[in-house]
Amino acid sequence: MTIDCKHIRNFCIIAHIDHGKSTLADRLIEATGTVQKRELKEQMLDDMELERQRGITIKARAVRMEYECQGETYELNLIDTPGHVDFHYEVSRSLMCCEGALLLVDAFQGVEAQTVANAFAAMDARLTILPVINKIDLKHARVDEVTAEMEHTLAIDPGEVLKVSAKAGLGVRELLDAIVQRVPAPTGDPEATLQAMVFDSHYDDYRGAIIYVRLMNGKVEKGDKIRLISTATTHEVLELGQFVPHQRPCDSLQAGQVGYLICNIKSLDLVNVGDTVTIPGDRGAAALSGFKIPKRMVYCGLYPSDGQDFEELRDALEKLHINDPSFEFEPETSEALGFGFRCGFLGLLHMEIVQQRLEQESDVDLVQTAPNVTYEVLTREGRLMEIHRPQEVPDSGAIEEFRQPIVRVSLIMPSESIGTVMKLCNDRRGVQQSIEHLSPTRAMLVYDLPLAEVIYDLHDKLKSATRGYGTMDYDLIGYSPADLVRMDILVNGNRVDALSIICDRRDADRRGRAIVKKLKSEIERHMFEVAVQAAIGSRIIARETVPAMRKNVTAKCYGGDITRKRKLWAKQREGKKRMKSIGQVDIPQKAFLAVLETGDEKA
Amino acid sequence: MIRGEAEVRRNSDAQPAAARSAYIHVPFCRHRCGYCNFTLIANRGDLVGNYLRALEQELSWLESPRTIDTLFIGGGTPTQLEPAELARLLEIVSRWFPAAAGAEISLEANPSDISSEKLRVLRDQGVNRLSLGVQSFDAAKLKFLERDHDARIVRRNAQRALESGFILAIDLIFGVPEETPSIWRRDLEAALQLQPQHLSTYGLTWEKGTSFWSRRMRGELIPMGEEAEASCYELAIDQLVEAGLQHYEVSNFARPTFACRHNQAYWNGRPYFAAGPGATRFVGGRRETNHRSVTTYLHRVLAGHSPAFESEQLGAEDAARERMVFGLRQIEGIERHRFHLETGFSLEYLGGAALETFVAHRLLQWQEQYLRLTRAGLLVSDSIWGHFLRR
Ligand SMILES: Nc1nc2c(ncn2[C@@H]2O[C@H](COP(=O)(O)OP(=O)(O)O)[C@@H](O)[C@H]2O)c(=O)[nH]1
Ligand code: SF4
Repeated sequence: MTIDCKHIRNFCIIAHIDHGKSTLADRLIEATGTVQKRELKEQMLDDMELERQRGITIKARAVRMEYECQGETYELNLIDTPGHVDFHYEVSRSLMCCEGALLLVDAFQGVEAQTVANAFAAMDARLTILPVINKIDLKHARVDEVTAEMEHTLAIDPGEVLKVSAKAGLGVRELLDAIVQRVPAPTGDPEATLQAMVFDSHYDDYRGAIIYVRLMNGKVEKGDKIRLISTATTHEVLELGQFVPHQRPCDSLQAGQVGYLICNIKSLDLVNVGDTVTIPGDRGAAALSGFKIPKRMVYCGLYPSDGQDFEELRDALEKLHINDPSFEFEPETSEALGFGFRCGFLGLLHMEIVQQRLEQESDVDLVQTAPNVTYEVLTREGRLMEIHRPQEVPDSGAIEEFRQPIVRVSLIMPSESIGTVMKLCNDRRGVQQSIEHLSPTRAMLVYDLPLAEVIYDLHDKLKSATRGYGTMDYDLIGYSPADLVRMDILVNGNRVDALSIICDRRDADRRGRAIVKKLKSEIERHMFEVAVQAAIGSRIIARETVPAMRKNVTAKCYGGDITRKRKLWAKQREGKKRMKSIGQVDIPQKAFLAVLETGDEKA
Repeated sequence: MIRGEAEVRRNSDAQPAAARSAYIHVPFCRHRCGYCNFTLIANRGDLVGNYLRALEQELSWLESPRTIDTLFIGGGTPTQLEPAELARLLEIVSRWFPAAAGAEISLEANPSDISSEKLRVLRDQGVNRLSLGVQSFDAAKLKFLERDHDARIVRRNAQRALESGFILAIDLIFGVPEETPSIWRRDLEAALQLQPQHLSTYGLTWEKGTSFWSRRMRGELIPMGEEAEASCYELAIDQLVEAGLQHYEVSNFARPTFACRHNQAYWNGRPYFAAGPGATRFVGGRRETNHRSVTTYLHRVLAGHSPAFESEQLGAEDAARERMVFGLRQIEGIERHRFHLETGFSLEYLGGAALETFVAHRLLQWQEQYLRLTRAGLLVSDSIWGHFLRR
């Protein structure tokens, strides 16, 4: 069965977290009869456990629906996009697969940081925007004000705004009709050479990679040979089909359609989001523009707390990597922590997700070092180095320029918090780009800030400065030179490599003091005094001392006690072995995160 | 100098020595004190008859009498027994454990149980050392510890014991909540006034399963702080040494030649026999503990079954490690050559890198051929031992 492009609509929903994207998706799936109501797990599209826990959509998903409008049957493909900034690149690829976007805004919350970021991304991708206000059933819905906010910030025509309640099912038909009427049909040519965009993938233990594609041109059938351009590999299509929302095989897919391909590919490494699928040989279609290998912006060390578990950790990382090639890992050794891995992530959330999965899926007890961003160093000899961990920083004499990643952050908050938020950004060496009043009560600030400052605690600080009402989003804009230094931590005179950090020279004293203070509170008293120092080069900038323990001696020990006492003492020692011992000082695992301490007065 | 096991093992003299010490456990008390987790049954004097029969039964399994150099009859409260029962106990015990000439025969006594009659029984049966559970002279502290005597009773009975020719050993406890340094100082002074040959000072320990423990968990009892406890402990050491006693083990002090030989046998890894509920013996490298429930013990023994409940065979290295630790708890320390000769292991081998660190941090020190704790090491010694032991 072939389908004409004019009967296809491809769209996505973009929204700030909690504005109702998942609920609306469920309603659409239900209203089109794709899935019977009782089959509907709550929030169909968010099917990963972790996403559920965190209430966010991490990875794109897709679903095909059928809808009848004025006597014609349409194929509607909803492509879900991740909402979080760590996955900007994935979002941009998903947007390329759509002709329209539902811009969903909560009738009470109004326009938020992610609304703005995602709306601009969709406009940049030249999608037709369908503005939708959700939750109109709410008692405190402020539909008119929110409409005005959308008009002010995003230049939305108030006349185009659709009003729905995803929860109550209000306005859903009208929305579906509007999708058919307003979203343009795709424009591909089914007769042209195959050209399809990979917008997502996942790994199935039995069938290998499941490749999510949108066909731009041409068609693909079962048994066809296809080529993935970025990896220059050729594969045979064993199965293809669409998501309804489970995988339903079909015979062919053609220009304008969205579906999946299964080619017995045993590693997701070969399946890059943004890649182009075409035919083998030199008559294939051109690569679609915009493909890139996403850059890992945040790195941390992961070590088994018991050195014996190194191989087990490697296996666990490899297994996770199969499903998520966007994080990378390579073995590293630390004097303090032994053998482990340096892992790179798209962002902080991505790091947390990978760690949580590791913990859930393997028994290895982990020690994590504090995350750091990727820096660049231009050496005196003119060589450009990428720095993934503080130990890689060369001697200050060898550095021509030390650069750090800068992000443009948009922050939206109640107007009365502007002052506090500005101070927050200024304290973190932000450079203000703009300030805009969205409505009489809400404002948007745009700042350029070092990514390092953003990942540590900006989000938490923003939330507390705005009593939870502030939201933020950011986008990497590039690298710029800064006065950065490596600060080392010494424990009883021994440098603990895993505790070194890179920071702005002007912050070094404050952070050094905060870190040694934190470490002092984390390190138990020992039989001897423990000195904790922060140093830049050979200069000590802060010091704290953990006093020696005063008394630990069991009084009585008669004959019957000997076995019991021996076991007790040996066991206590065993307990300490789970800590990392550096020059006879036992350092608890969570102390390795002490370097996140920023030393803000109001902590 | 760290040597491999294979090399050092050659020096081992493999013949286990015969046991020359014995311990008898008497599991009766009038009331269980709030901090006590010893094997005992409170307020069940009616079981004494059965107990004596069981003890006799258990000892009969030795098959032949064993001559001993030290005997320790502990509890519980052995002096809870009536004079006739006490006489019977001692008669049974001395039948199976005849004393060698000059033997040390100790018995634990509760100050308020002592009568001239009981003292006479003890003397007649060869007991020559009384270990008096004084704990304190302070009325409030004694009450807190749930003890039934007072300072006056202690003074009178200590006097009597000395006059009857017993070697007098006094136990004191410190580190009781709300105790002040001056209460403790007065306890030490009062004890010294009685002129005992031996004094033990025990920091109050909080044992799981005791009523003190649960009260502490509920926040009703707050232990004395670490700093205060340390001061009390140091105060005891200074004051007792000043008074001419030798500090010879973590919590033990004695006039010259009056160190408790029985306890030294434990600490020096010597073998010992034992009988009674919860009692532990160490014979032929095997450490064996009797059932801790008094009634189970009685049932088993009277039915002709072994009361042993748990046991472990110590390998040569584990035995040496233990000896190292309990040797170091003795203030004099360990003489390296003798240790090597007797255990087959060198201290350096057993101590490894940890030993070097402790020496570097001045927690342990070498003096001539002796390895011993420093004062700083003594105070935190429990944190040291785990490094020398294996589970
Ligand atoms: N009152 C009301 N609540 C809604 C509506 N749509 C979604 N919600 C609620 O808003 C919360 C967030 O919805 P969800 O679909 O998970 O948001 P997402 O994070 O954008 O996917 C949930 O508690 C929903 O039940 C609506 O139309 N009305
Ligand atoms: S008298 Fe001694 S053995 Fe008896 S309960 Fe009190 S502390 Fe325990």
